Amino acid sequence: MALASPQKTTPAPPGRSSRSVQRRRVRRNTLIGWSFILPNFIGFALFTLVPVGAAFALAFLEWDAASSPEWVGLDNFERMLDDENFQVALTNTLFYAGGHIPLTLVASLALALVLNRKIRGVKFFRTVAFFPYITSLVAVAVVWNMLFNPTSGPVNQGLEALGVSSTPGWTTDTDWAMPAVIITSVWRDMGYYMVLYLAGLQTIPAEYYEAARVDGANAWQRFWHVTLPGLRPTTFFVLVMLTVQSFKILDLIVVMTDGGPGRSTLVLAQLVYREGIRDGDYGYSSAIALVLFAIVLTITVVQFRLNERRDAR
Amino acid sequence: MRIPRTRGKAAGGPRHLIRGLGVLTALSLALTGCGSGGDSGDGDGKTKLRVSVWSMAETPEFQALFDAFEKSHPKVTIEPVDILADDYPDKVTTMLAGGDDTDVITVKNVTDYSRWSSRGQLADVTDAMPAGGEKDLAGLEAFDSDGSYYALPYRQDFWLLFYNKTLFDQAGVDYPEDLTWDEYVDVAEQLTEDGGDQVYGAYQHVWRSVVHAVAAAQNGGDQLSGDYDFFAEQYETALELQDSGSTLDFGTATAQQADYGTLFESGKAAMVPMGTWYAARLIEATQNGDTDVEWGMAPLPQRADATSTTTFGSPTSFGVNKKAANPDLAKEFVEFAAGERGAAAITEIGVVPALQSSELIQKYLSLDGMPTDKLSAKAFEPDEIALEMPVSENTSDVDTILEEEHELIMVGEKSIEDGISSMSDRVHDEVLD
Repeated sequence: MALASPQKTTPAPPGRSSRSVQRRRVRRNTLIGWSFILPNFIGFALFTLVPVGAAFALAFLEWDAASSPEWVGLDNFERMLDDENFQVALTNTLFYAGGHIPLTLVASLALALVLNRKIRGVKFFRTVAFFPYITSLVAVAVVWNMLFNPTSGPVNQGLEALGVSSTPGWTTDTDWAMPAVIITSVWRDMGYYMVLYLAGLQTIPAEYYEAARVDGANAWQRFWHVTLPGLRPTTFFVLVMLTVQSFKILDLIVVMTDGGPGRSTLVLAQLVYREGIRDGDYGYSSAIALVLFAIVLTITVVQFRLNERRDAR
Repeated sequence: MRIPRTRGKAAGGPRHLIRGLGVLTALSLALTGCGSGGDSGDGDGKTKLRVSVWSMAETPEFQALFDAFEKSHPKVTIEPVDILADDYPDKVTTMLAGGDDTDVITVKNVTDYSRWSSRGQLADVTDAMPAGGEKDLAGLEAFDSDGSYYALPYRQDFWLLFYNKTLFDQAGVDYPEDLTWDEYVDVAEQLTEDGGDQVYGAYQHVWRSVVHAVAAAQNGGDQLSGDYDFFAEQYETALELQDSGSTLDFGTATAQQADYGTLFESGKAAMVPMGTWYAARLIEATQNGDTDVEWGMAPLPQRADATSTTTFGSPTSFGVNKKAANPDLAKEFVEFAAGERGAAAITEIGVVPALQSSELIQKYLSLDGMPTDKLSAKAFEPDEIALEMPVSENTSDVDTILEEEHELIMVGEKSIEDGISSMSDRVHDEVLD
C-alpha cells in the first residue's frame, strides 16, 4: 500500500521515460539490497556454497587430495550398498533421530507450558532451562559420561535405590550407548526449543482460552483444541530444525563415545569425516554426505507438504 | 517506502553504489583472509623453519631439539606449530590435504607415516640419513619404502613394566623379574587391595596395543594379515585381570578417560605396562613433587615358553612436507634430529633416542632421578623390539576395525572367539578383498 500511494500523487510522466526511471529505481534498490547481504554472502559462498558444490562433483570422483581426481561414475554409491560401516552408521543415525526428535519436542513443549505461568521466579527457572544450551558441549559430554558411569555414576545409583536390579551399562554397553547419547542431547537442546515454544505461546490470544472455558472445556481439552493448534507454526519450525540437527549429529557423539563401544554409536556425519578427512577418500566421503543430504531433504520436503496440506484445510 | 526526493541524486546513486560495492568486496576478501603463507624470512634476516609438534608444554623433547638446532644454526629460528596431542594425526592430515606449507612434519607413529607417505605428502629424505644411520637408527626399517625413506626416526620408545616398589615391599612380593603373563596375573591379584583405599595390582591401559601389539611381538603374528587367532591368549590374560578386579575395568577406564600416569603416581596401581616415554614423565613428576612413588622398571612379562625378552616399540620421526616453504633447511633439521647431536639433546631430558649406542643408553640410565637398580638396567636391554604396528597402505583401515572390535571384547559385549572372528571377517571384507 505504501508503495502505491506516492505513484498516484506524482503526475504521470510520458510512457517510455517513466519505465526507464522505474527500471533504474528497481535496479538501485536491488543493488542496495545486495550490498547489505554481500559481506555475509561472500563468507557463505567461500566456506559453504563452493564446498557444497564441490561435494556434489566429488561424489562421482575418486580423489585423495594429493593426486588428480579420477571419474568413477556411480562407483562410490555402489560401494555404499556393500559397506557394512555405512549401514551401521545409517541405522544408528536413524535411531538417534527417532529418539532425539520426538523426545526433545515433547520435553521442550512441556517445559514451555510449565514455565508459561505467572509463578514466582519464573525467569530464574527459564534461565535454568536454557543453561544447558549455552554450556560448552565438551563439558556437557564429560559430565554426563561421569553421571552415566555404570558402577559409580549417580544415574545407576539412583536406579539401584529405586530397586532396579540390573542397571544398564550406558556408554560401555552397545545397546545403551545410543540411549545415553539421546538423553544427553535432549537435556541439552530442550531449553533452546522451549524458548521458541514460549514465544509461540504468546501468540495465542487469551480470548480463545476464555471462550473455551466458558464453553466448559477442561484443561486437557483446552490444551488439545486451543494450545496445540495455536502452536502449529512453531511446532512445524521446531520439527524441521530438529530433523536437520538430528541427522547431522556429530559433535556430541565424538566427544561422548567416539562412535563406540565398537560401532554402536557410529553416525553418518562421523563416517563422512572418517572416510574423507582421516582416510583421504574424499570421493566416497562426499557420496555419503550426499546421501545424508538427500535423506534430510526428503524428510523436510515431506514435512513442508504435510504442513501446506493442513494449512489448506 | 520512501521515494527519492530529487531525481538528480537518484541518477548518481548507482555509480556511488558500484564504487561502494567494489570497496566492500575488497574489504571482505581481505577480511576472509585470502593471503597465502609461505613467508620464510624474518625481519632480522633469520630464516624461519616451521615444525609441527604436539602438546609442546608436556613434550619437552621438542624444545630441547629446537634449542640445540638453533644453537648450531644461528641464522635459523624455529617456529613450532603446536597441536593438541589427541588431535594431532587428524589435524596434520587436514593440514596436508589443504596444502599447508609447514616445513617439518613430526610423524607421531607409523600408522600416520603410512597414511601420509602413501599419499605422496612427504618428501624423500633418503639423502638426509645421518652418518652411520642405516646401522644404528632403531626402528628405521619401518620407514623403508622400497629403499627410500620419507621420514627418519629420532626417537624410539619401547614397552616395559613400571612397578611401584613400596607396594611390592608392603605385600611381601618379589619384584617382577622375568615374569610370565600368568605370573603377572597372580602377582597382580596378590597386590590388589579392595575397599576404601583401592589399589589395583596392575593397570592395563585401554589402548589396543596393550593386547594386540604384545601378542604380535611375542607370538610372531601379523596384525595386517586378517588372521587374528594369535590374539586369543593375550585377551585371556587381559580379561582374567579384569574379571578378578585386579585392574580398573575397561568400561570404567574409557568412560572416565582414566590416565595411567595419575593411577600409578598416586599409588593406585602397582604395575603398569607402558612405553619408555613414561620414564621421563615420572622423573619430572618426582622432581616437581607431584609424586613420591618409588618406582622401578622391569622387562615386559613374556610367554611361558619364551627364551628371550621380546617387547614392541614405536619410532617417532620427522618428515619433510612436500610443499615445505624451506625444503632444504627442513632436510637439514631431519638429519640433525636423527643424528648424534639430536640424540644427545633428547637423551639429556630422559627421552630414548632412535640412534642407539651403548654410550647413549649409559648416559640415559645415569640421568638424575632414573632408578639405578640392576632390574631397571636390564629392562633397557630387551633382546628384540618388534614394530608396534606394521606399515602398509592398509594400516589405518585395519587399525580402525581392530580398535572397534577390541572395545567390544574388552567391555564383554563379545566373547574372545566372536570378537576375533569378526576382526578377521571385517578386515577381509572391508580391506583385504
